[in-house]
Parts: sequence; C-alpha cells; structure tokens
Amino acid sequence: MAGEPDSRGESGIPGGWEGLLAAAQKGDADAYRRFLLVILPFVRTVARRYLRSDDAVEDVVQDTLLTLHRVRHTYQPGRPVKPWLAAIATRRAIDAGRRRGRIRSREVSDPAAYETFADPAANKEESAQAAESVSRMMAELSPKQKEALELIKLKEFSLAEASAASGQSVGSLKVNVHRAIQRLRRRNAEQGEP
Amino acid sequence: MTERPTEALIESLAAEARPVRPLAPPLMRAARLLLVLAASFAALIAAFGVPGALAARFEGRELFMAAETAAMVATGVLAVLGAFALSVPGGSRKWLTAAGAALLAWLLLSGVGCYALVAQLGSDGWKLNGHGDCLLFIVAAGAVVGAPLLWLLSKARPIDPAPVALLGGLGAAALAAFLLTFFHPFAITVVDLGLHLAAVSIVIGGAALLRRRALRPA
Repeated sequence: MAGEPDSRGESGIPGGWEGLLAAAQKGDADAYRRFLLVILPFVRTVARRYLRSDDAVEDVVQDTLLTLHRVRHTYQPGRPVKPWLAAIATRRAIDAGRRRGRIRSREVSDPAAYETFADPAANKEESAQAAESVSRMMAELSPKQKEALELIKLKEFSLAEASAASGQSVGSLKVNVHRAIQRLRRRNAEQGEP
Repeated sequence: MTERPTEALIESLAAEARPVRPLAPPLMRAARLLLVLAASFAALIAAFGVPGALAARFEGRELFMAAETAAMVATGVLAVLGAFALSVPGGSRKWLTAAGAALLAWLLLSGVGCYALVAQLGSDGWKLNGHGDCLLFIVAAGAVVGAPLLWLLSKARPIDPAPVALLGGLGAAALAAFLLTFFHPFAITVVDLGLHLAAVSIVIGGAALLRRRALRPA
C-alpha cells in the first residue's frame, strides 16, 4: 500500500528513476540516495539552460534537491519522473535568475570600497599622514612628558615599572602623562580647525 | 575526506527519507471538491434560494443567458481544475489559457447582455438592480468556497504559487457568482456587472495576497 515503509531496502529496484522514487516515497533511504545521485546530471543540464556560472548552477541543483524533498509526495507512482523533475529544476533556475537580476538592479559592486575602508593595509596613505602628524605633535612635548607618555600609554608599563625605567616618581609620571595628553588634544583641535 | 556540499546534502536528505503518501492525481482531487461544492450548492439553493430567480434572469433571452451562465460555470470549473493541475510540478500552463478563454467569454456575454438591457430599457439599464448586496454575496461565498480550495491546494506545496492562487481565486469567485444567480432575481445591469467584476477581483486579489501564507509554497 502506498505510504507504508519499505523495510527491504532492496538495491535492484526495477523501473529506473520511477522505481527509485516510488521506493523513496515508501521510505527506502537507499533508493532515495541513489535516485538523488542519479538525477544530478539531468538537474545540472536543466539549470545550465538558465545560468552560466558553475556556482550558480550548483546552487540551483541544491535548491532543486531541497524542493524535490518537500514535494516528493506529489509524484504519481507509475508516471514519468523527468517532466516532474524538469518542472522543479526549471522553476528553481528561473527563481535564481530573477533573484540575481534583482540583486544586480539594487546593489552596486564597488571593489575599491573594500580596499579603502575594510583593509587597513589599503589605507597606507592616510596611515602615513596620521603617523607623521602624531610624531610632529610628540616632538612638541617636553622630554619628561614624552617619556612618560611612551612608557605608560604606548608600551603599557605599569606606573611602578615606568618609574623604575625612567627614574621619575609615580606622581610625576601621572602629572606628565596628564599634561602630555592635554597638550596633544589642544594641538589636535587646533589642527582640525579650518 | 571532505564531502562536496551537494553530496553532503543528498546524504542528509536520504537520512530523512520517511514514508510519504502520494497525493491522488490533481484532476481527481479537483473533481472530488467540485462534487462536494455541487452538493453543497444544491442544498443551499433548496433551503434558501429565491424561487424563480434563475427564470427571472433568463426571461425573454433564455438562449443568451444560458450561454452566459455556461461560460460562468466553465470559468469556475476550468479555473478549479487548472489550480489543482498547476499545484503539482509539471502541470500544464494551458489551463491558464483555458480558464482565461472561458473568463473572456463570460465577460463578453455579460457585457453584451448589459448592452442589450440598456438598449431595451434605456436609462433604467444603468440602474443598480441588486442593491449592491451582490458584491457582499460574491465576496463572502467566494471566501467560503476559496478557503477549502486553498487548503486542498496547499497540500501539494506548489513550487510556483502565483498562477495557482490566481486560478484558485478565479474559480472561487466564478462559482460564487454562479451561486448568486439563484438568489438574485434580476437581469444584471451595467452597474451590477461592475459590482460583480469588483467582487471577482476582490476574491482573486485576496487569494493572490494569501498565496504565500495559505498555499505553503515549497
């Protein structure tokens, strides 16, 4: 009876694709696997009528397999599989083509955007300008302020380590870092003004 | 070893190969629904129909009205059959043409009928005969017919729901309009025809809007 599981899992199912799919409808996993594998070239051929790139064709093949899985109950046992399968693959290929068309009409490909904003290595010019600006401002600090800033903020020394390395007291380091940052902020603000 | 994605997908689908009960042939399912609708319509007409409504509409132009009614019924039946046929993969799109041709014949015959009424009655041929309740009737009856229709169509999980919803809506609306002829004891005027068309459009539009939710496309 249709709908009952077929526990035999027989390998020599007669009737070609039709027999395999009918067995799959009864729950035969092996027949289903063989059916899905054996139809792949046919589905790829249908997809290639509508799409050119291999990636797009493979997407349609996978989409077709998923759709087939959801609608496998609509196949009438005994009837030819190919028209049924071709209809599914064609629909999915047309859908994929429309989807690609919509994406192309709404989105703009801008390879430069990735190089300019996402990849730091691509921003060499801006980085060089920023480094030059920072070093110019650092040169305007007093030697003690500059030393305190380098040790505490750039090398991330603790106050005790920085004190031991520089010979400045902890309090003096705090004051010099504070003043250095204030001075850099003021300088930066002056540079930002038109 | 790394499996290619498509082969991996096949393995996962095969692992889910639970038994499924094949749907009956689409035209057989459509025929069953039409039989149930015919029996329901007969019961409704027997219980609540306006006696002589059909005769009043046919009076003086029996042959013409018979052709118009036949076109209306043909539109409904062909649209329902087509909706079922297209709900499964591989259904012929010629059903769209067949239902469209019947719809065209229905509209032409209705239009000619209204024109003849205007020629016969003068300005009275432009009056609203049915008090506007025919619009409500067609929309309500269309919804009542359309609900089980969409539910049955959704069992096939249509891969292309738009034509299925279109034909389903048209079928429900045309059959509702046919049912109306047993409750609407007037020859339809131009305004009535306009209301009928608006009602049919509302039912079709409703089915089209519901297609994603109601038809559960695959």
